Amino acid sequence: MKKFLAIVLALCLVVALAVPAYAADKTLKVWVADAVVDFTKEQIDAFMAEHPEYADYAVTVEPVGEGDAASNVLTDLDAAADIFGFPQDQLARLVAAGALIELSEENAAVVAEENSAGSVAAATMGDLVYAYPLTADNGYFLYYDKSVVTDPSSLEAIVADCEAAGKGFYMEINSGYYMPAFFFGAGCTLTYDADDTGAFTACNIDYASDAGVGALKAIIKLAQSPAFHNGSSIGNATNVGAIVDGTWDANAAKELLGENYACAKLPTFDCEGTPTQMSGFAGFKLLGVKPQTDDEKLALCDELALFLASGEVQVARYNAAGWGPSNLAAQADPAVQADEALSAYAAQGAFTIPQGQYPGDYWSLATALGDSVIAGDYNSADDAALLAVLQNFQDTCIGYAK
Amino acid sequence: MISRFFRWLGTDLKEIGLTFAEGDWKTKLSFLLMGFGQLLRGQIVRGLTMLALEGGILYYLLDFGWGYLKNILTLGVVETHKEGRRTVYGDNSFLILLYGLLTIVIILALIYLWRVNVRQNREAEQRLKIGKRLPTNREDLASLFDKNFDKTLLALPVLGIFVFTVLPIIFMICIAFTNYDVTHQPPAKLFTWVGLENFKALFGLGGEGFGGTFFYVLGWTLVWAFFATFLTYFLGMAVAIMINKKGIRLKKLWRTILVMTIAVPQFVSLLYVGKMFATDGLVNSYLLKWGWIQSAIPFWDNATYARILIILINLWIGIPYTMLIVTGLLMNIPAELYESARIDGANPFQTFRKITLPYMLFVTGPFLLTQFIGNLNNFNVIFLLNRGRPQSMSLTNNAGSTDLLVTWLYKMTINDSNYKIAAVIGIMVFVVTAVISLIVYNTMPSVKDEEGFQ
Repeated sequence: MKKFLAIVLALCLVVALAVPAYAADKTLKVWVADAVVDFTKEQIDAFMAEHPEYADYAVTVEPVGEGDAASNVLTDLDAAADIFGFPQDQLARLVAAGALIELSEENAAVVAEENSAGSVAAATMGDLVYAYPLTADNGYFLYYDKSVVTDPSSLEAIVADCEAAGKGFYMEINSGYYMPAFFFGAGCTLTYDADDTGAFTACNIDYASDAGVGALKAIIKLAQSPAFHNGSSIGNATNVGAIVDGTWDANAAKELLGENYACAKLPTFDCEGTPTQMSGFAGFKLLGVKPQTDDEKLALCDELALFLASGEVQVARYNAAGWGPSNLAAQADPAVQADEALSAYAAQGAFTIPQGQYPGDYWSLATALGDSVIAGDYNSADDAALLAVLQNFQDTCIGYAK
Repeated sequence: MISRFFRWLGTDLKEIGLTFAEGDWKTKLSFLLMGFGQLLRGQIVRGLTMLALEGGILYYLLDFGWGYLKNILTLGVVETHKEGRRTVYGDNSFLILLYGLLTIVIILALIYLWRVNVRQNREAEQRLKIGKRLPTNREDLASLFDKNFDKTLLALPVLGIFVFTVLPIIFMICIAFTNYDVTHQPPAKLFTWVGLENFKALFGLGGEGFGGTFFYVLGWTLVWAFFATFLTYFLGMAVAIMINKKGIRLKKLWRTILVMTIAVPQFVSLLYVGKMFATDGLVNSYLLKWGWIQSAIPFWDNATYARILIILINLWIGIPYTMLIVTGLLMNIPAELYESARIDGANPFQTFRKITLPYMLFVTGPFLLTQFIGNLNNFNVIFLLNRGRPQSMSLTNNAGSTDLLVTWLYKMTINDSNYKIAAVIGIMVFVVTAVISLIVYNTMPSVKDEEGFQ
């Protein structure tokens, strides 16, 4: 027995002693979306060539989708990349977990000056800027089939055209991202205030109102159309007449719709008899830096992230991968200006609000509301019942900020 | 149970005392310096092993383990802070808990080892007293490949199970009593013990309103496991019996067709079938085209439809497996039984009820139980088909109408980093499976009456 124990314990010791140590290392890991891995490598090589003082650092670029990056970072901060790209809806979660370091004052000033106000707000928690805006194209508008949809300016007309042609109208109404197109359009607000630590302090919401009921009724009516499909990924859609989707699917849309490809701002919808312009979120992709224990490496991370988010790199990124820039100078670039999908997005931009910070629970709650609508739970509900639903929604939203 | 433990402890302590009182100086010194007595009595291998282990463990405790163990009651107090813009990490609650637990286990091991050491000394003394010789070093070593070969062989697997299964399970159970969630994430933030808070949140119907959702999900999990297990079982058996029937032609062809569903990886077929039933999927488009329906059927958006459909699709996956297993067993039933039944004038249904079914239940009882437990945790089918959707305003925390406890747990950890509640749910899953297994196992004919069919 004792020999057996001897081996067990000896091996235990080996396992236990192999502990991670926070040592100053000379490697730097970057996570970006698959589509821009090669591009980012080139840019980093150029950066390193200009900065011989960091020559002893080995920089690696790994493809990690933006949606996964935040989860991976949160799962194991030690193993996470030092610089990583992520969609803005993950910012609150990352800040709350202490997985992002705020920008230095100089960098924050540069970022605030060179980027659109909405994108800076998207990277800000409380008073601190926590990330570098990369793109300002994370929003949605309408892609449609010219041969099906004759009038893309009204939701009712689009849905009627799709129904007549036996085609589908796709909109992911069970998502907290797309659903506000109706509510904000009708004049409702839903924003959160947050402090520096990523905690939510207050919720400004007025969904439980006549305007909110009007918006909800429009959603319920849309969901009942035979042409309606709940979805926002053109790659997964099989019968597209029109789809509410974003710039990231522009190429897929072009491929699918061929010469009938067209895009436009979102249509108006019928809100209690009044044609009302759909609103929505203007969203942003961000680049964040993980907290560092070493001053020199931190300096490198700061400089590299600032460079990767700079105007010229944003233009280059647009040319390489079609990502719409958040940098004001880059937005004025002729190539960017000529982009069809980005123009449609810019046209929609007049009606959208910059996506601020929302707690993770909000997204689940919105999905729950959307699923209930799609399941037909409210098909025969009267105004008072709908108001009660929205009151419940509103109270729950407020409950997330405390 | 408890009194027996204390009686054992009493005799054990008495023996330790006796060893010390009656032992010579070598034995007495061994109480402090493990292996000392063995060394002086010529058992070099035993002595050195003991000494090395004591030294190693003490070194581990002082150099490493203590640093974590001393904080285990608070799980760390030093917060992560900044010096300028450089981050200085404070205590890491996660590592404190993990290595603290490991240290506790190692201390227990040291106590056990020390006891072994004391006993070895006593045995050696007693052997020497009655004039017997002690086993030599060579004999000790050789026994590892002879009398004690089982221990040599099992050392590695047991260690593996400890490090990769037992320790993580203890760790997970502990997490259920902490506030480890998205706002308390190491290494940047600390988490700490909160007692039964999480259990209260899960069972309490007020507060965050977890309770109703938990029982809703638990209810569906049980319903699902019941139907998924027994429908596939009986229908699979029916298919097997039909194919096995004399006079059915092309038996091999039928079997091959059914087994095809196994040949295609579930991962692929489930994702594909999930899409087929979308509102714009294959099924709906054809039904619309043929004019059978006016608007698409919301297979995945309506809770009841989604549940029924999931059970049906699971049949399609599950039946071939049951069929394969049952086919082999059917051929094992002695033909005389059927023959005599026929002579006695039994009809086919009677022979099925009186011969086939009892035999099947007897032989496949344990299989059914594992199937049931497997279905309670059948992540694949649910998650690949529709990710537990649809959600509803009446459910909290991301739970959907077709979510099993295990898929809900997955969403909680991956989407919401809500580890504390996920750990509680993990414990609940264990309780449910354990209770069901124990009850069913103890009432199974194959266990109660092992020789029933021999």
